Amino acid sequence: MAAVMPDGAPLLDVSGLTKRFGGLVAVKDVDFTIKGGEILGLIGPNGSGKSTVMRLIMGIERPNAGIIKLEGTDIAGWPTHRIARSGIGIVFQHSRPLNRQTVLENIKLALLPDSLFRLAVQPGVEERARAIAERVGLGAVIDRRPPTLPFADLRRLEMAKALARDPKVVLVDEPFAGLTESETAIFSELIDGFRREGRAVLLVDHNVKSVARLVDRVLAMYLGERIAEGSADEVMQDPTVRRVYIGGEIETHARPELDAGAGEPLLDIREVGVQYGKAQALQNVSLHVQAGEFVSVVGLNGAGKTTLFNAISGLVPYGGEIRWQGAPLAGRSAAAIARGGIVHCPETRELFGELTVEENLGLGGQRLPRDQQIEQREWLLALFPILKERARQRARTLSGGEQQMLAIARALMMRPKLLILDEPTLGLAPVILEQLTQALMRLRETTDTTVVLGEQNVTFALPLADRVYLLEHARIVWEGSAQRFAAEMGTGYL
Amino acid sequence: MLSRPAGIAVIVVLLIAGVSAPLWLDAYYLGIFTTAYYFGVFAMSWDLLFGFAGEVNFGPTFLIGLGAYGAGLMNNGGLPIPLCLIGGAVVAVIGGVVLAVPALRLRGPYFGLLTLVAVLLLLDFIVIFAAQTGGEIGMMVPDVLSVSTNVNYWYAFGFLVISAVILFVLSRSALGLILQATGQDRVEAQALGFNVTKHKIAAFSISALFSGLAGAMMTFYQGTASVDQMVDLGIAVQIIIAVVFGGRRTILGGILGAIFLVLFDEILRPIGQLNTFVVSGIALLVILFLPDGVLGWVLRPREER
Amino acid sequence: MVALQILVDGFAISALYGLGAVGFTLMFGVCGVLNLAHGGIMVIAALVGWWVAADYGAGPYGGAAIGVLAGVIASFVTYYAVIRPVQRSKAIPAVEEEIFILTATLLWGIMLQVGLDYLFSNNPITIQPLLPGVLSIFGVRTPWNEVLIAVLCWGFIGLLSLLVNCTGIGKQIFAASVNPRALTLLGYDLGRIYLIVWAIYGVLAGLAGVLLASFLGASADNAGALTASAFTIVILGGLGSVPGSLIAAYIVGYAETITAYLIAPTLRPIPALLILVIVIYLRPQGLLGRR
Repeated sequence: MAAVMPDGAPLLDVSGLTKRFGGLVAVKDVDFTIKGGEILGLIGPNGSGKSTVMRLIMGIERPNAGIIKLEGTDIAGWPTHRIARSGIGIVFQHSRPLNRQTVLENIKLALLPDSLFRLAVQPGVEERARAIAERVGLGAVIDRRPPTLPFADLRRLEMAKALARDPKVVLVDEPFAGLTESETAIFSELIDGFRREGRAVLLVDHNVKSVARLVDRVLAMYLGERIAEGSADEVMQDPTVRRVYIGGEIETHARPELDAGAGEPLLDIREVGVQYGKAQALQNVSLHVQAGEFVSVVGLNGAGKTTLFNAISGLVPYGGEIRWQGAPLAGRSAAAIARGGIVHCPETRELFGELTVEENLGLGGQRLPRDQQIEQREWLLALFPILKERARQRARTLSGGEQQMLAIARALMMRPKLLILDEPTLGLAPVILEQLTQALMRLRETTDTTVVLGEQNVTFALPLADRVYLLEHARIVWEGSAQRFAAEMGTGYL
Repeated sequence: MLSRPAGIAVIVVLLIAGVSAPLWLDAYYLGIFTTAYYFGVFAMSWDLLFGFAGEVNFGPTFLIGLGAYGAGLMNNGGLPIPLCLIGGAVVAVIGGVVLAVPALRLRGPYFGLLTLVAVLLLLDFIVIFAAQTGGEIGMMVPDVLSVSTNVNYWYAFGFLVISAVILFVLSRSALGLILQATGQDRVEAQALGFNVTKHKIAAFSISALFSGLAGAMMTFYQGTASVDQMVDLGIAVQIIIAVVFGGRRTILGGILGAIFLVLFDEILRPIGQLNTFVVSGIALLVILFLPDGVLGWVLRPREER
Repeated sequence: MVALQILVDGFAISALYGLGAVGFTLMFGVCGVLNLAHGGIMVIAALVGWWVAADYGAGPYGGAAIGVLAGVIASFVTYYAVIRPVQRSKAIPAVEEEIFILTATLLWGIMLQVGLDYLFSNNPITIQPLLPGVLSIFGVRTPWNEVLIAVLCWGFIGLLSLLVNCTGIGKQIFAASVNPRALTLLGYDLGRIYLIVWAIYGVLAGLAGVLLASFLGASADNAGALTASAFTIVILGGLGSVPGSLIAAYIVGYAETITAYLIAPTLRPIPALLILVIVIYLRPQGLLGRR
């Protein structure tokens, strides 16, 4: 079992860790320590640099600066296999087991020495592999092959492989993604077992909530920097963390004239479920949108918002039914759905980086008659004046905020009946958020475009919304008006 | 792994057929099988690289050619056959390591292309140094393994069986597991503590060793090292066809594929040059509709059918 | 004098290489397909063009036109019979699709080569020059046909760049090479764009084949070498980069011409391969490649 260092010295000591990708600083001067028998949660929204920190520790990326000490030895910049041999193990989120081998053989693989000349499997390996399988709960499926296993068992297998190396430090990437509630409890217990054995554990996740019960301390990151550290409660109450996740003060702007109950819904989602491989990404989601409404779907990263939108746009297969203007969407291609009036502006923005702003807009409006194209473009350039100045620049040279505006403008060039906006605030500075809010507010006030907005940032999403859905762990858990959300959910969200 | 009855049945049938062949086959067909067996070793060596280490080597004939011409040149220089076989294998292994270095840096099509270029360069050099290599005509060697068809058959059969056992055991050993892990996900394999560089070089060396040895043996069977039969890209393609047809990641599938190819070539001889067309067409159909190959399909775990 | 001769000859050959490689690189950039049956398609166009021109009295221009048409048809057959089945197969895992397409097109290329060999024999054929006569460029006697070929090649490359930069469909094609997913989200069917690219590819490869046949001659046996040279040029220039391919075509064209004139004609293919090996080691993304 892993050794506990005397007098509580940290097993893992990270200081001044910095990583740049080209001009982008992904991780900036991050420090933390983990002692044996301690679990540290590393949280941050998408793009905050938390996964990069994990990859830097494992040696998958080389840091530009900083020290990573494992029991006093600096391992920064070592090759991955050497770092692994010196006692750091990782549980990847996406497992890629050997599909032609059994579970037992997959675990044995992790027990093999890194040697070319000890080809025969050593004695004792078999028993150890079986013991590990029992421990993580794979005992009953030990002779099956991974393609036949359910998702939770594949995650167990990843856990078993990490455990087989008997690591002093275990890095776990999104430990509970795709697991059901009862499975989450079992995995928590397994991870707690690592702590009891004196290993140092780093849990990387989107938000505090999912790891709060398990961790001793939490470190929150945003845009590559550490923004808070402390107990889970302290971090949840931290004003900077709340600003990053929720935004600032919550405001709402109801539109009393809009009667959301009337008539057949424009978009009607009935009991939709989505599986990614074996992970349940969306479960029994029902939701409807009336013509002219602005509906916000709020939820933390990883709750299933993007999956929901991908299902609507025909990008992922789903169970259940999605009806658009009264007719089912199933069987129509993504392109046909977009031409039918549902335009999806994804969180990744999906701009044509090598094309200019003008050309990006042009591709959005190519199917409109020429005069309407010009009219729509004029209107959009008035809505987002900065795009006019940037008209001849390549999209990839724009700032994050400008890219987001271009993505929205390009979607609007198609004159959508329904605009789906996925996480438009991702990685944007507060000033930009203000501009974006104003533009969307004008869109809401001056056009009859129906909008579905997916957001983690509640402060951004609520003022715009007529109605709100809260998505948690792949399910809709709350539905109601923006005012009621502000009153009821303001504190329990994080 | 050998517990699967279908796999055992295939192996037993093949062994009985192979051992008894001199009793019921005439000399002509024995000769054809002799060639097919060397071809089978080419295919198995390629499968170790492609199926297990995940390296797309479009130029297996680079390694074979190095072995064949290396051994041939040494024989012409007066060395006896056993030394030439060792020498040819050594030359091929050096070639394998030379290929392994870029394989560690390049991905997908780039590495595939580099292996093609390696073959083209070897072809060009053979032609340029025609005075020593015989150029396109081929290089005669003074010694041959044997003049007896039966003896030649046994040499090839023995070589095939020994190679198959070694390669198969290697593929099922720790090395095979680690190679599959590195081929599937380099990062995860490293995170499990495996030095991917070391294992890839090992895979290339082993593949080169058997390719080169088979090339050298074939040279002394035929009495010539020839571009047409050992280096040409067409041969490389046939090796790939043999493995894909027989079943990737099975090692033994390559033997089936090689025998199929050589036999089919014979059966289709009456239609002349069109036989390559038909064989390629069949291989294309197999790729499109049975991408795991014949043996892969037979051995597919029951729960996946 | 030899220098001028090299300059003039190399220019025409390089233009021809460029035309052949542009289609190949466009195909990779937009559809992600490395078509190892490329040479086979060029040779189909060449042989059909020659056959129609000679046996049916269609004349060099009629032959050339029908040859190009044959190239387009061959291109569509490649797409529907080889590429699409691989892309749609459920038995082929996505990570292995690339290697399956390479292997499948390799086999298909061999089938084309052997089939053509059977139908037309492997004797090299030469399409009658499109323009007869000879002119003198700086004292170098140059057939008019060679001038016409260089002009046609550059004309079509220019047309392609006009198409991509100045038309709606061209913008879609370019956009598909940058971000196909985004194009779907904007309501464009990628399948339709891919079909158009296969058509353009067929025209370019067919034309390159026909012009090659009227310049240097062609035979079924050339198919492999033509694929290899297109592949070489495209990797050298950077996969998916059209300007890169053109520059690489000139590097390869002149390297070959210089070697043939100054060292020995038999060494013609070697410098290109050596340059390629060096580039792959030092700059694997090619001269103008991204990533």
